[in-house]
Amino acid sequence: MNLIEMNSICKSYRNIGFETQVLKDVTLHIKEGDYVSIIGPSGAGKSTLMAIMGCLAQPTKGEYILDGEEVGKLNDRKLSRVRNEKIGFVFQAFHLLPGVTALENVTLPLVYAKNPPRNIKERAKELLAKVGLEHRLHHTPGQLSGGEQQRVTIARSLINDPRIILADEPTGNLDSKNGIETMKTFDNLIKEGKTIILITHDQEVAQHAGRIISIRDGQIASDSKVSHEEQNRSL
Amino acid sequence: MRIFKNLGQALRGLRLNRGNTILMTLGVMIGIASLTVIVAIGDGIKIKVLSRIANMGFGPESFSVIAGAGRMFFSRSKNTTSMTLEDAEDLLALPTVRLVVPRQRTRTQIINKKEFTGTRVYGVTPDWQLARGWKMADGDFLSDNDLDRRKRVIVLGATPARKLFKGKDAVGKMVRVQNNFYQVIGLLEEKGMTESGYDPDDRALIPLTTSMSRLTHQTYLHSIKVVALDSSQVPETMEAVREILRRNHNLSVLADDDFRFVTPEGIMQWVTESEQALNRMLILISTVSLLVGGIVIMNILLVSIRERVREIGIRRCFGARRSDITFQFLFESVLVSLLGGLMGVGLGLTISFGLKRFDVLPTHITVEPFILSFVFCSLIGLIFGIHPARKAAFLSPEESIRS
Repeated sequence: MNLIEMNSICKSYRNIGFETQVLKDVTLHIKEGDYVSIIGPSGAGKSTLMAIMGCLAQPTKGEYILDGEEVGKLNDRKLSRVRNEKIGFVFQAFHLLPGVTALENVTLPLVYAKNPPRNIKERAKELLAKVGLEHRLHHTPGQLSGGEQQRVTIARSLINDPRIILADEPTGNLDSKNGIETMKTFDNLIKEGKTIILITHDQEVAQHAGRIISIRDGQIASDSKVSHEEQNRSL
Repeated sequence: MRIFKNLGQALRGLRLNRGNTILMTLGVMIGIASLTVIVAIGDGIKIKVLSRIANMGFGPESFSVIAGAGRMFFSRSKNTTSMTLEDAEDLLALPTVRLVVPRQRTRTQIINKKEFTGTRVYGVTPDWQLARGWKMADGDFLSDNDLDRRKRVIVLGATPARKLFKGKDAVGKMVRVQNNFYQVIGLLEEKGMTESGYDPDDRALIPLTTSMSRLTHQTYLHSIKVVALDSSQVPETMEAVREILRRNHNLSVLADDDFRFVTPEGIMQWVTESEQALNRMLILISTVSLLVGGIVIMNILLVSIRERVREIGIRRCFGARRSDITFQFLFESVLVSLLGGLMGVGLGLTISFGLKRFDVLPTHITVEPFILSFVFCSLIGLIFGIHPARKAAFLSPEESIRS
């Protein structure tokens, strides 16, 4: 069964009478455990596609079925719950709460969880240790380097044990060394059975995925499998 | 409980946005402080007026007739010469009247060698003591003999006695009032300064006849105090007094009274009226100041939300519902106004205490401002917080994360 099933998705924004079509009839199916890169030049509609996938925006037209549920029919309550339980976001600009410690940032999704586990702190510490930040638990984002901040956001995206990781240009603000670290982390997550959708404009980063979807002018321009040799070369 | 988590996030939000929190708190604090001070002043003035009335020496069966038309507490017109001793005698002849005390009042200096003090010197008849029920601390009160022979004798209240004689024996000594020497024949018992600062002991009494011939050089009276046999007879006695005075003063039917009454009921009515006016003003001022506080909160919250769009977006991405965001910001605004209210009451009480301590205004501190500010602050927080909170909740998560 497809975990993500998008059928003829259109998205347009209305701006002072002008209607801009950002996505035009996008049909896309992603299976559980897939590692997918979405690439395309800026303005192609990558971020909008991700916003719809992440239930942050609703499509203007079309049908989006996430894990068997039609997202278009959900109200705010249920949408929030889907975001909370099924999706972990990783952003280019990190989007950590300023002035709040790494530990508390990681536990943020649990504030809004329906049945939060009892050992919140231990889990958060575990995850931070997993990304190599056990010595930075009580540092605020301002006291952390870019690479460390990105690792905090990855820990945060995993705290609710979501099935899908949505990463929007995760290496965009990082130097090459930290970028490689981040990509290694994702490779490990795939081995754990997560579904990862990686949005990037960097061909090399995209090569990590098993499948590359190229977007141009709001439409899917190409959808290709990456051979294992290519994947391994990029590692 | 989800709502308690929102409360926790609100507390964190307030801590992290310290600048805005302080500004919002200040807005409410000033409003509540002024409310507290205003309530304290209002209560203080009420108490002062009531105690002044108590010190006028009115029993329920007595009233005063003051020469000259006008309002109760305004000074008598200087040139009303129509009220005379004959009027006083006619009033005493009324069947319901027990006592009549004709009076003249002069504010002047009393001098004892190098000591001097300004005080109120009343020319009265011996009945004054009966009408007031005021006991002597030393010596005797004025007698009929003193009155008939226009003797230069004086009875001192406790305040001038203390200032002139510094605790030494005063009875039998001579003091000077304007160009005449008077012998001190008695001292009034001390009543003590009232809470409001009115000093009933600041007075001296001389025979009315002496006052007329040596002090005021006037033959007319400034006022007459009338004591009825019973308090129930006060209204009919007043009517009879009015009739006699109008006839004696040859007033035509169309002319206004050239005298006025001061009665316990009249004073109470005046007090009630001024209290109502005062309360209306207090409510108006308080409403305005609280409104200002509320608008300050709303504006700062709106600005704060613009600054925190990204935070709201992040929370929404990780599962915050619209209601979570709404509650978080509502809690922030209610907490801030409660904090401001608490600090405002503190500041207000300090100011009220200072005003009283340094004699600027009478204030009286009650429990009311605490309850009022708690209620008002919660309301302000809710009413002025709801708009910003809803605005924050309805931001699109997609757009707010991109900003």
